Amino acid sequence: MGSENLNKRRELTVQGGIRKSRLQRNQYTISLMNEGLRAGLLTSREMMRIQNAFMQILQELIKKYTRGESTSVTTETAESLLTSIMYAADAHLFSFEEPEKAIVYLKTVDVRQIYERGVEKVSQCLEETKQLYKQITANKLEVPVDAYNMTIDESLPVFLRKYGIIFDAHNTMASIDYPLAVDDMRLQGVFYMKQYLEQLKLETEFCAMFDQRELLDLLAHYGRECRFNYRIELFNIYELVLNNAIFSVLSGGDADQIRISESQYQRLEQQFMSLTEPQIRSVISGAMGKLQQELPIHTRLKEYMDGCMEDLVQRVTNAAKHGSLRAVIITEREAGVKSIVLFFNEEDRMSDVELRRRLDEIMACERKEDKVKLILTSFHSFHDFLDMLESECLFGDEYTALFHAFGDMELAILAKTVFYEELRSESLDLPSILLLENEYKMDWQMQFVRCLQSMSRERLQGVEKYMDEIDYEQMKFY
Amino acid sequence: MYISRLFNSLNVSMQAQYMTELLELNEKTKEYGLVLTPRDVELMMAARNEVLHSYGRVELSIEVTKALIEVFSASSFIQQENYVDTLNELHEIFYDLKNETEDRISDMKLLHRMKDMFEEDCEGSLGLLKSRLEEYAEEFRRELQKNESLFEGENDYWDLKI
Repeated sequence: MGSENLNKRRELTVQGGIRKSRLQRNQYTISLMNEGLRAGLLTSREMMRIQNAFMQILQELIKKYTRGESTSVTTETAESLLTSIMYAADAHLFSFEEPEKAIVYLKTVDVRQIYERGVEKVSQCLEETKQLYKQITANKLEVPVDAYNMTIDESLPVFLRKYGIIFDAHNTMASIDYPLAVDDMRLQGVFYMKQYLEQLKLETEFCAMFDQRELLDLLAHYGRECRFNYRIELFNIYELVLNNAIFSVLSGGDADQIRISESQYQRLEQQFMSLTEPQIRSVISGAMGKLQQELPIHTRLKEYMDGCMEDLVQRVTNAAKHGSLRAVIITEREAGVKSIVLFFNEEDRMSDVELRRRLDEIMACERKEDKVKLILTSFHSFHDFLDMLESECLFGDEYTALFHAFGDMELAILAKTVFYEELRSESLDLPSILLLENEYKMDWQMQFVRCLQSMSRERLQGVEKYMDEIDYEQMKFY
Repeated sequence: MYISRLFNSLNVSMQAQYMTELLELNEKTKEYGLVLTPRDVELMMAARNEVLHSYGRVELSIEVTKALIEVFSASSFIQQENYVDTLNELHEIFYDLKNETEDRISDMKLLHRMKDMFEEDCEGSLGLLKSRLEEYAEEFRRELQKNESLFEGENDYWDLKI
C-alpha cells in the first residue's frame, strides 16, 4: 500500500468526525477516546498520556483504598477501582453538549481535574437522589404490593447508605425488584438510581390522581385475571392504571376512572376487534390526549406517559388479534358472587412458644392417628398450619393420614398454595397438574402431591371446585 | 490482562530507579554476607512480575520486595548461594498469602508473621513455612467469617485484628 493511499484514508477518517452512535453512555470516556482516535481528533501519543494520567489516579486510589497498609491489590479490585474512576470521568465528560468539545477538554485539561469535577458531579447526584427518595417516601402509595414496598422501604435506603462515591461509584448494588414502565438499564451506579427514582416519582404522582379504593380494586381484578397473588408478583402498577384510565376514556368513562365494567369491556372489545393497528394507535393517542388534558398533568409526566403509549398500542393490537383482550383491559369482576370468604387472620396465630410446644407434643405422639387428631384439634390458623408442615414434624405415611383426614376445602387451600406456579402460568386443571409430576422443595409438598395422585377423580373434582372459588386475595403465604 | 499491562508500562519508566534502590540495599545486607548483582535483581523482578500475574495481583511499588530483603537478610538460614531463589519463593509465598487472607492483613504484619514462623517454627524450611501459613490463612478466614456474621453489614476493611 503506497503512502498516498494511506494519507487518503486518514483524510477520510478525519472527515468522518465523531459518530455519536459509537459512544456508549456506560463507558463514555473510553468510547470517546476510541472514537476520537478513529476520527483523528486524538493522537495515540495523547491517548497514551491520558491513559497514564488515569493510571496515576488509580495508583493513588489504591493507596487510599488500602489506607497505605498494602501496596498491592487483586486485579479485580484494581479493575473495580478503575471503573469507579472512569465513572466519575464519564459523569463530567458526558455533561458536554458536543462530544468534540469533550475531546478537546480531555486533550487540554488536566485529567485529574476532570476526575475531581466528575466526583463532585457524582456526589451532587447522590444528594439529589436522597432528596428524591424523601419525596417518594412522603407520597408513597398505600398498596399491598411487596416488590413496590420493599424496594422503597428496604432496598433504596440500603443503597443510599452504602453507596461509595470514590471506590464504588459504578456499583448499583441494590436489589431493586419493582419494575418501572420505562427503565434505562444502561445506566449504572447513582445515575441509574436517580433516573429510577425520578421515574418512580412520576409514576407515583400519576397513580395518586385516582381513587385509592379503585386502585386497590384494580389490583385485585388484575390478580384474578392473571390467576395469581398480585401481592408477590413483579409488575408495574402505573402501567395498569394508565392503561385502564385510557380504556375508561375510550368506553365513555371519566378520565379519572380506572374501573372498567363488563359492558364497557364489551364496547372496547368490539371497537378494537374492528380496528387496524394505525387506527388503534390513533384512538389510543386521542384518549391519551384527553387524559392529559383533563388530569393535572405537567410536561415531564406528559412526556413519560407518551413514552409508554406505543407499548400499549402493540399490546392491544396483539391481544385483539389473538382474542386475549381480557388480559390487557382489566375488567371489574364481582368476587363476592362465587368466592368463598375465608378468614386468614394474622391475630389467630399462635405465639412462637406455643407453636413450639404444640410441635413437641405432635413429635411425642407415637401413633399417627393421635398426631392427626392433635393437629386437627389444636391448629386453627392457616399460617400456623403451614409452619407445622414446614417444621417437618411428620414423616412418611403420617402426612397421608393427615391429608386424608382433610375436607375438600382444606385440600383446595393447600393445592392453591403448592401449585401456585402451575396455576399461574397456564390454566391447567388439577388432574393435569398432577400428571406433570413436578418436583417440590419441601417434603410435605411432595407427600401432598402423592396423596392427591392417589385420590379418585370424583374427589379431585370436589377439591377443584373449591380451588376455583378461592381467591388468592384472601390468602397470604408467609 | 489489560490493567496489569498498563501498570507494567507505567513501571517500565521506574525500572532504573528500582534497580538503584534494590542494589543500595546491598550495603545493609552485606553484613550478613548477602549481596544481589544487577543480573540477580533483573531476574528477581521478572520472577516477581510472573508471580503477580499468576496470582492476579497489581503491585504499585517495590516496597514489599525491599522489606522482604531487609527483614529476611538477617536470618541465619539464608546463605548467599540460595539467596535469590529464597527471595523468589518468599515473593510467591507473600502474594499467595495476601490472596488467601483476602487482603485483610497489612503488608508489614504479614511479612513479620512470615519471618517469625520462618525462624521459629520452620527453622528455615520454606516448604514448612508454606504449609504453616496455609493453616494460618485458614484460621484467619474462619475468624473473619465469624466476625462478619456477628457484624453483618459493617465490614470495615482494614480494622480486623487477629
